[in-house]
Amino acid sequence: MDETPGLSEQYRKASPWPLFIALGVPISEIGLVFNVLPIAVGGLLLFCGCLAGMLQEAGYIDAPWRALGVMALLLGGLGGAILYVNPQVGADMTMRAYAVLASAAVIIAGVVAGTLLVPKRQQPA
Amino acid sequence: MELNAQIAVTVLMGVFLVAVATFLTRIENWRSYTPVGGGGSFIEESGYIDEEKPAGIIRWLTTVDHKDIGILYGLYGIIAFAVGGLMVTLMRFDLVTSSSLLGTSTYNALLTSHGITMLFLFGTPIIAAFANYLVPLIIGADDMAFPRINAIAFWLLPPAALLIWAGFFAKPLGLFGPAQTAWTMYTPLSLGAVGPSADAVGGAGVDLMLLGLHLSGVAATMGAINFIATIFTHRGEEVSWANLDIFSWTILTQSGLILFAFPLLGSALLMLLADRNFGTAFFLTDGGNILWQHLFWFFGHPEVYILVLPMMGIVSYVLPRFAGRKLFGFKFVVYSTLAIGVLSFGVWAHHMFATGIDPRVRASFMAVSMAIAIPSAVKTFNWITTLWNGRVRLTTPMLFCIGFISNFIIGGVTGVFLASIPIDLVLHDTYYVVGHFHYVVMGAIAFAGFAGIYYWFPLVTNRMYQASLGKAHFWLTMVGSNITFLAMILLGYGGMPRRYATYLPQFATLHQVATLGAFLLLIGQIIWLYNMVSSWFEGKRVESGDPWDLRQDNVRTVEWQWFEQKLDTQIATDGGDEEVATDGGKPADEAEAVAEERDDD
Ligand code: HEM
Ligand SMILES: [Cu+2]
Repeated sequence: MDETPGLSEQYRKASPWPLFIALGVPISEIGLVFNVLPIAVGGLLLFCGCLAGMLQEAGYIDAPWRALGVMALLLGGLGGAILYVNPQVGADMTMRAYAVLASAAVIIAGVVAGTLLVPKRQQPA
Repeated sequence: MELNAQIAVTVLMGVFLVAVATFLTRIENWRSYTPVGGGGSFIEESGYIDEEKPAGIIRWLTTVDHKDIGILYGLYGIIAFAVGGLMVTLMRFDLVTSSSLLGTSTYNALLTSHGITMLFLFGTPIIAAFANYLVPLIIGADDMAFPRINAIAFWLLPPAALLIWAGFFAKPLGLFGPAQTAWTMYTPLSLGAVGPSADAVGGAGVDLMLLGLHLSGVAATMGAINFIATIFTHRGEEVSWANLDIFSWTILTQSGLILFAFPLLGSALLMLLADRNFGTAFFLTDGGNILWQHLFWFFGHPEVYILVLPMMGIVSYVLPRFAGRKLFGFKFVVYSTLAIGVLSFGVWAHHMFATGIDPRVRASFMAVSMAIAIPSAVKTFNWITTLWNGRVRLTTPMLFCIGFISNFIIGGVTGVFLASIPIDLVLHDTYYVVGHFHYVVMGAIAFAGFAGIYYWFPLVTNRMYQASLGKAHFWLTMVGSNITFLAMILLGYGGMPRRYATYLPQFATLHQVATLGAFLLLIGQIIWLYNMVSSWFEGKRVESGDPWDLRQDNVRTVEWQWFEQKLDTQIATDGGDEEVATDGGKPADEAEAVAEERDDD
């Protein structure tokens, strides 16, 4: 927290987040395409959580909560959009929309818990 | 039952997420014990700090160092090359007889996967391997502009490969088969769910393949953004646009092409996926099939230049080293690279001459397709002129560069013929087309890849490969390629259609010749793989910072300067953690159009 990252010379040579961000994409995509709710939700949570972790590690943000809030909003919008087009397409998309909305809900719960319960100094590295 | 399965999946997913979270906290803990040394940030490091990297497998899973990621890309590309190569070996053996031994659906599945594996999982990544390792070194950057994005882009690729090959794993389990759409995924065949061909082409295997392709496209786009940002903003002080090296120029152009081509492919793939799964009708309406072809080839033709431009860059970079001269007409090579980059977006409909599109449109695409041959020829003449009166040394990388030129001429000239509408109407969808593009993709692109791998092998491994095995590899590959692909061109003249597992008896001889060539290629690649692996572990150690004796012709390039420094450091500190002991670079080594090593202020 004491460093001022952002300049290339100061990058660390290792970061655990990219691998899991990269895993989050296919997992959520498979869940959504094949309509398996738990996989879609898990993949989206993995993706968003690790994205927030990486943003923080890179020093773009101090705490993950607000970034997570924005992602939850975006997911909410996406879920809403799916519900909106649902009647116009030939397949039933309800569960897919719910999967996206459920991920948004879980993330919001995490944001609320995080901001209320985690003391400022103990925010994850 | 259904509910139980849902619960089971939910629990599994939960366990997985908790495991990931635990793993992440442990990594983070491990790191907080290792001071990061961000404090005195004005003390520039003049070497790469290795002690920040964790040990063992974790290092490779978490690295964001451009050189490590370059090596990962390289290993990935080579594995994909082996998989794609074994697939085509099976196909070639199937084609020994006029009936299909494997069965037509297996043949079609192998055909589809071979093409996609070679283009998306071997071609693009192997270029990214060279670019990641070398571009920052050559232009004097500390790393890529966005190292973490770089890592994300790489890690998207292993899942992409698993998805693309998923049908092959699922079939033995009795689930679903691999996709049989061919790499062009033309609708209505690839739509599956409608029409009489419903799911005849792989069912869920097609969906997974589309997802995998989409992932690989996202990865390529992220990489391209990274290279553009790096080359624009992270050049060393001495590196101007005027003396930027040719390889970085081609990577920059290629990244521009990727930026415009791959997102379009991604969108088209998602539209197809939506048609198959979400009940949309993008490609179901009138004109939907032509729409797909336009979208696909608007990506597809630039894609072939995405693959060939950086490889031309490698040849332009390596060939002059062993000709003992500077690259002839450097500026014109750069201009022709840019010209190809622009023109490559104006030729896509030459893949659609036989679809019945408007003849006036067709004619204009024919004109542009002919025009694109001009900058390609400019490059070819520049390479040949570079050799002229040079002190040519036939090392293995040089042999592959010369092989590249030779094969590229045949590939290019056959392409010009195809670009002519009346000829294309005869030869379209025959083996002539297959011969044409294999002369380019195997004969040129893979050859340049080998040239690069041999040339930079000492740079990466500190060891030398076995030269005699390298020569054997070259000759088997050169002879094998020309036998195989010349036979295909002749088959095309005879009217043999492409993408069939069976054929009329009169084509048997040429097919058998092609298989013989493929067999030579297989032997050559086995030799190469053995050479690489054994030399990596026990090859002769390179003692000099100039393993190619480039200094005697004054053609040494900047990455070897970095290499020399690395060797010196290893001797001085014996792999310790000291600050690197340097005194300024040696003034003698000025190479053309290259920068000094990263300065320590
Ligand atoms: C000299 C410039 C070139 C011209 C004028 C040219 C022209 C053509 C034409 C007209 C076709 C369509 C043939 C048909 O389907 O009837 C074609 C196919 C193809 N070309 Fe080229 N080409 C050139 C260079 C290249 C290069 C450099 C590459 C690879 C890096 C390449 C890769 C391909 C591929 C992969 C196909 C087949 C696509 C398919 O149908 O599966 N070509 N080329
Ligand atoms: Cu083309």
